[in-house]
Amino acid sequence: MDSIQQLTDLVNNDSRYDIPYAELEGLQIAAVNARLQQRREQIKLVDHRARQAGIDTVDCLESMVPLLFPHTVYKSYPETFLSNQRWDKLAKWLDTTSTHRVPTTDPQAFDTIDAWLADLETQGIFVNCSSGTTGKSAMMVSSRADLDWCLTEAVAAYTWGSGVKACNDRRIFGLAPVALTPRNQITGEAYYRALQSPDKEPFSYPVPPITVGSLTSMVVLRKKMADGTATPAEIQAYEQTSAERQKTMDDAVTIAADAIIEARTDRLHVTGLWSGLYNVAALVRERGYSAKDFNPENSIYVGGGLKRAVLPDNYREFVYETFNIQPERNYQNYSMQELQSGMPRCREGNRYHVPPWVVPLILDKTGDVLLPRDAGEYEGRAAFFDVSLDGRWGGVISGDRVSIDFRPCACGAQSPSIRDNIARYADLEGDDKIGCAGTVDAYVRGVS
Amino acid sequence: MSTVNAPFFARGQLLDGADQTHRSRDLGVDFTTPSINLNAVVHPRTDVPPLLNVPLAEIIDFLVLTGERLRAADNIHMQECFERMASTHILPRQVVEATARHATAYLEKRILEAEVAQNFSDPAALDGWIPKQDFTGRRSFVRAFGPRLIHVLPGNSPGVAVKSIAQGAMVKAVNLFKMSSADPFTMVAILRTMADIDADHPIVKSMSAIYWRGGDTATESILYRPQYFDKIIAWGGGDAINNVVQYLGPGFQLVSFDPKTSISMIGHEAFDSDQSLSKAAALAADDVMTLNQEACVASRYQFVEGSREEVEQFSERLQAEIAARAAASSDIRPLDIEMREQIEMLTLMDDDYRAFGEADGRGIVICSEEPVDFHPINKTANVVRVDSLDDAIPHVNVATQTVGFYPFNRMVTYRDRLASCGAQRIVHLGEAGPSTIGNPHDAMYPMHRFVHWMAHEDGSAESS
Repeated sequence: MDSIQQLTDLVNNDSRYDIPYAELEGLQIAAVNARLQQRREQIKLVDHRARQAGIDTVDCLESMVPLLFPHTVYKSYPETFLSNQRWDKLAKWLDTTSTHRVPTTDPQAFDTIDAWLADLETQGIFVNCSSGTTGKSAMMVSSRADLDWCLTEAVAAYTWGSGVKACNDRRIFGLAPVALTPRNQITGEAYYRALQSPDKEPFSYPVPPITVGSLTSMVVLRKKMADGTATPAEIQAYEQTSAERQKTMDDAVTIAADAIIEARTDRLHVTGLWSGLYNVAALVRERGYSAKDFNPENSIYVGGGLKRAVLPDNYREFVYETFNIQPERNYQNYSMQELQSGMPRCREGNRYHVPPWVVPLILDKTGDVLLPRDAGEYEGRAAFFDVSLDGRWGGVISGDRVSIDFRPCACGAQSPSIRDNIARYADLEGDDKIGCAGTVDAYVRGVS
Repeated sequence: MSTVNAPFFARGQLLDGADQTHRSRDLGVDFTTPSINLNAVVHPRTDVPPLLNVPLAEIIDFLVLTGERLRAADNIHMQECFERMASTHILPRQVVEATARHATAYLEKRILEAEVAQNFSDPAALDGWIPKQDFTGRRSFVRAFGPRLIHVLPGNSPGVAVKSIAQGAMVKAVNLFKMSSADPFTMVAILRTMADIDADHPIVKSMSAIYWRGGDTATESILYRPQYFDKIIAWGGGDAINNVVQYLGPGFQLVSFDPKTSISMIGHEAFDSDQSLSKAAALAADDVMTLNQEACVASRYQFVEGSREEVEQFSERLQAEIAARAAASSDIRPLDIEMREQIEMLTLMDDDYRAFGEADGRGIVICSEEPVDFHPINKTANVVRVDSLDDAIPHVNVATQTVGFYPFNRMVTYRDRLASCGAQRIVHLGEAGPSTIGNPHDAMYPMHRFVHWMAHEDGSAESS
């Protein structure tokens, strides 16, 4: 059996987060090398990287580093492709990081990016898009095999991290608008298949789903504003849409609070983002309900960090206490759009555990050099190689600062683990730089 | 990690100390400074500006003498400054040193006098109250009164430090210079040089230079008040300006030197002969490499009128010229990882984007049909092919500063449209740097805006 399959097969093995790294290193190196040999032929950027670095074989962890893609690669498309609706050029751009060829079609055939992407899906190319906290959305390709993997892996990580059994005995309560991307949809599907009781209806947050088109429309308008081609009427229309969207969001909080109060005796699985969860919890409290009214077996999964929302310091406790979430059923997961596998947080050690099919590579701050593995916990820029990825390259350098420990965790699991204090380098360093040279970005107001 | 010390200067007094440690963002180097005594840098409103009754001619003489002392080989303050700069500045030491020496050329009598003459219809208003009378016979006196100014200095140009001191002195202002983390040294070195000439001169008593981290509320919310200062002269954009904007209000105004992008426009005439092509490429490279492309006047996009083949030929020559200039200044700074990534991805899309040179920090040109949407910097030029220079006009916007032209005789055809789009200067290709002495900067006459225009109404002719 080949090294890739040996590692990915572990997704079905109960000890998947309990394997000492020493036992995996050789296998991981072999698997990444196998990926390099396959992908060089298929992904232009991998071949370019390998040639530039003069690396033909991956035979140690160090040799993986020059082959990693900075996360910004997936944002490197020119914005004019979006604003000018050049789907053909966007296809060509996506193709440089895709394992499977992205077909180039006549851009005139599709009015919107959503229509174009829907067409790509029928051809097996699934494009994921990030919400782009920094302005531009990342775009990356998944294959059908990737979506199948997420269906299995998301549940494997969840059940291990939360201790909740996947036995279809809960009611899923979604308390956040969901970005309609293939990976999000399939992960939602995975939870539904694993947790949702057949006797109940899941609750979906009553707001229109966020499509790639709505995520990128802001980017397009921003570009037009910078170019000076956005008319006052266009800006007015955008502001009106934003105001309507905000109204829908505000209404949704009330509807969701009423619904969850109604369902308070059900065994719930609550999911969402912190800001939405907090708002609903606050309204539930205002109506006079709290932990004592909710089912003590409720579970929760919160995706992502605060995403720049400003909440009181005790927002987490407030949410847990409102919905009666016991600490052992509070699931957290460290992942990123650029990878597809997650690192579930354990309950005893509060640390994120790296699965066997993900190679943890902790680099220096600049992302150039692999730090020597320390005997204890040490800090650096997180990079990973997700061996499970099929549709694109698995090696990514993140923007995150993490502290990793290769020793067994307090929870007993022997996999490498990451401390629950992950921060973005970009947030750690303010912008104190001024100079007379600059771009038109400084002249654009109102779209961020 | 080694740390360097950056002393402060407060109204004639040198402040030494290493009470606080800061980080220079560009290089990740630490530097120490004294703690700030805010009282020391605020000149009470009840005291008139120290320079008020010093004649402009004397101020100019003092500035000229300062220039001579700044260039003197035995100037220990400047020597120390270069030592320290080498550890925090992103440009190589020899570039910084040459630029600083070059900047002192501004401190020349004829230049300073020309600046004043262009900024003020009657420079005598700086020295005294100018009698006026309107057509109704009403009389008054007007004075360009010395203002209280905070200068938020950029970190990319010692030239701005020299100019700010000179202009602040000539308008007889009380000046507080907020230094940047990329250069917390030059300003104090200049002020120390001035103090060595005459520590008690009012010009020296009118100047303070300190550092705080841009956006630091603890300092800015205290200092940025009309009771202490009239105007804030700020360079740059983004967070630097956004932080300042919240403090603006009646009596506390912003004079902004906005962040700018400069471009080149090269007509089909460049392809008339091999000689004209070489000439255009060399001139374009001069503009790209102004202050090694750190300055706002440095060209970033070259709109070139021609066929794909011609424009690629131009790109190739331009790259060679940029690389030669980079090598001559020993500038091998690597490209920012994000920009390098974008360049590589674009060139992998084969036909639309073509790179000349490598993204290795030695000079690269990207040839395309549309401008790239990253900011070309650090020896990076984006040549954009156009059928006609008219097609470049839509790419000129409110952030466009200097437009370099080739051939020169096509400038007249374009200058009105360029101004209408927001551009501020149009120059011969290769001459982005120099400008006519006393010309407007950032679409204004700065000194005219700095001063506190004060009127003394003296009644109608009949009432006297």
